Amino acid sequence: MKLLIGQILPFITITIFVLGVFYRLGRWVGARIVHNVTLSDPWLKSGGEVAVKIGTEAFLFRSLFKFDKALWAGAFIMHFALLNVLGGHVVGFGLLGEQFAYIPGITAEMSKDASNLLGTVFGIVLFLSIAYLLIRRFSISEVKSISNSSDVVWLVYLLLIVGVGNIMRLFHQFHIEYEPVRDYIVALFTLQPVVGMELLESYFFLTHFLLVQILLIVFPFSKLMHLFGMFAERWIVNRVYHDPAPGMPNIDIPAARKAGLGLPSGGGGESASEGV
Amino acid sequence: MAEYKGMAQPSRAGEKDMRKIHMEPIPDELKPEKALEYLDEYRKKFRSFVMAMESCTKCGQCAENCHTYLGTRDPNNIPTNRAELIRKIYRRYFTLEGRWFGNLVGAEDISLDVIEQWYSYFWQCSECRRCAHVCPFGIDTCEVTMAGRQILHWLGITPKLHADVGGAMEKVGNHTGLPKPGIIDTLEFMAEECMDEFGIDIEFPVDKPDADIMYVPSSADFLLNPYTLMGAGMFFKYIGANWTIPSTVTEAGNFGLLFDQRYTQRHNVMRLLNAAQNLNVKKIVWGECGHGWRAAKMYVPSLADRPIRWDITHLHDEVAYLINTNQLKLDPSKNSKPTTLHDPCNYVRACGLNDNMRTCIKASVANYVEMSPNGADNFCCGGGSGILFDDKEMYQKRIELSWKKAEQVRATGIGKDGNGILCAPCSICKAQLYPMVEEHDLGVEVKGLIDLVGMALDFK
Ligand code: HEM
Ligand code: SF4
Ligand code: SF4
Repeated sequence: MKLLIGQILPFITITIFVLGVFYRLGRWVGARIVHNVTLSDPWLKSGGEVAVKIGTEAFLFRSLFKFDKALWAGAFIMHFALLNVLGGHVVGFGLLGEQFAYIPGITAEMSKDASNLLGTVFGIVLFLSIAYLLIRRFSISEVKSISNSSDVVWLVYLLLIVGVGNIMRLFHQFHIEYEPVRDYIVALFTLQPVVGMELLESYFFLTHFLLVQILLIVFPFSKLMHLFGMFAERWIVNRVYHDPAPGMPNIDIPAARKAGLGLPSGGGGESASEGV
Repeated sequence: MAEYKGMAQPSRAGEKDMRKIHMEPIPDELKPEKALEYLDEYRKKFRSFVMAMESCTKCGQCAENCHTYLGTRDPNNIPTNRAELIRKIYRRYFTLEGRWFGNLVGAEDISLDVIEQWYSYFWQCSECRRCAHVCPFGIDTCEVTMAGRQILHWLGITPKLHADVGGAMEKVGNHTGLPKPGIIDTLEFMAEECMDEFGIDIEFPVDKPDADIMYVPSSADFLLNPYTLMGAGMFFKYIGANWTIPSTVTEAGNFGLLFDQRYTQRHNVMRLLNAAQNLNVKKIVWGECGHGWRAAKMYVPSLADRPIRWDITHLHDEVAYLINTNQLKLDPSKNSKPTTLHDPCNYVRACGLNDNMRTCIKASVANYVEMSPNGADNFCCGGGSGILFDDKEMYQKRIELSWKKAEQVRATGIGKDGNGILCAPCSICKAQLYPMVEEHDLGVEVKGLIDLVGMALDFK
């Protein structure tokens, strides 16, 4: 069982994740942008403006901020904490918590303390913000009415992953050091004899690791694809558009006004006239 | 039938009406399987539809931002739930998630009931795109409504109102069924009216060969909004333009956009291009019609069957340009009543007409009050996409759908003395608001924008 979860499943997971994501992206690319359905709120006039628009939506959740501050707060904090936790996993394990030591004046010790503190804080914030989104899903009647069971399942599932992760951080007796994890991962993916299998003796680690792998397997087929969907959708509705130039051919307003066109005494004429 | 299992529905076109617009209705027992077939075709073609199906996180932001939900409090009018009416079928048949997890992810089998649900709720949506504007991802539920209506149309289920309009357009070139002699008579009468009321001498050239400008008015202006046509006539006279109205296209609208983009809308585009070619004009200028302007500006390029030789601009664009370059003398004191602007959704969210409309109105009226929210944030009048149904159930819905608009107008305070002007420069908005300002007792009169410009023009 541990062999399966620790040494075989990771490869299956990654394969399904990558192929699955490409499968979904392929489905999207296969259908075309047939008509121009750009939103004029307002027109974006250059690639730079498009980048700013999509960037502020993707990284600051601009529309949510504008129209629903409470949702923005929950969603933004959740995703910001998530981004930091994911980033923390990469640099924390990769550089063993010494990432901040690259900043002049910070020692490796200080960096480890900072890394630990940030990891703990973001872990807790992430847990609370997901809990907030879950409560919101039940307490606001509109949100309740649009939810499928899977929307709730996802939030509970993330709470589980984050919860178990937090337990390993907060309770000394369940703590896992960075170093063995790094060695385990490195050995696994450089196809060397796997070391650090004793990590999986910890049921918390085992659970955390297994849940994450299942998440990654289901990810490409689920709503979590909004990570890519967000950009694909905005690519359709936020494009550069230039209005055709105004100005009508052969009009001379000063001359028309001088001739008094429209004034009964001036150059009036017949009424509705059919052309010859 | 205006109701199905408690759901309000517009009355349907009969088989004869459908054949007039080239659709052969599908018998009921075949509808579910055909619906799937058409859905499959549609999803393989339109990415805007696929993304709306596949990237919603159910955050709920769109709910309080759709006037149909605000007015009816019917959960199926929440934009993402409206999309879900198709999405549940889409998931079940076209996604792995739906095939594996079924009910857990909200997948459902197709049935006649579902199709009837589509007919009710896709015809309560006004394709206003406020949901796309507010959604964190920009998911455009209007694209889902368009898909739903197209599939329904292919099944033979289309509101009688829309089918008749499609048939009239094909027959005489406008939505009201007014033939060419009627057009000429009406225009002569309007020119006389203009003389009597404003002392301005205008004419409306029809089919004038080699005119520089082809003006495409809304046919509703011939019957319901005469001041809009007179305003345009006064404007063209003022600037001394060599212009004409094509008798084959006396219609700025294109209902094909709203129920059948494949045949009806495309056919109308060809008709327009033929008219421009036959009259040998240099530029096409569009009249006051929201969905029609979207269809002309944004869809002609992708639907045309030949290279397009004419720039197409909106009359408001042209007026604003002349105002910005100080070429028009306008006297706002001629329009002194308190006035507010209802932004037609298609103008502000699909055509970028926001600033130019404001340039026109601010130069033409003395007492202008902004409504809140306005511009791209504005709410629909409740009639968008031509859901101007008169049968009892649907008319009741129309009152509900205009609830948010009524609240907005009331908040401006312009109607408190009963003499406010609600400027709504779109034929569908006008047709919706004429009765709705009475239903909600708003104390305002509905007018177009070119009406106000025309009246403010200083001819001396
Ligand atoms: C560029 C990356 C991403 C962007 C722009 C983004 C944006 C959003 C937005 C705007 C929402 C709706 C607001 C809400 O309901 O909270 C949302 C919801 C959600 N996102 Fe993301 N997201 C991103 C990546 C991710 C990733 C990688 C995950 C992975 C687990 C994730 C998990 C979720 C979940 C579970 C929800 C639903 C929350 C709820 O049920 O209320 N997101 N996302
Ligand atoms: S705002 Fe967009 S993502 Fe949120 S529920 Fe509505 S359609 Fe879905
Ligand atoms: S297009 Fe307008 S009416 Fe239709 S769902 Fe979106 S917000 Fe509502």
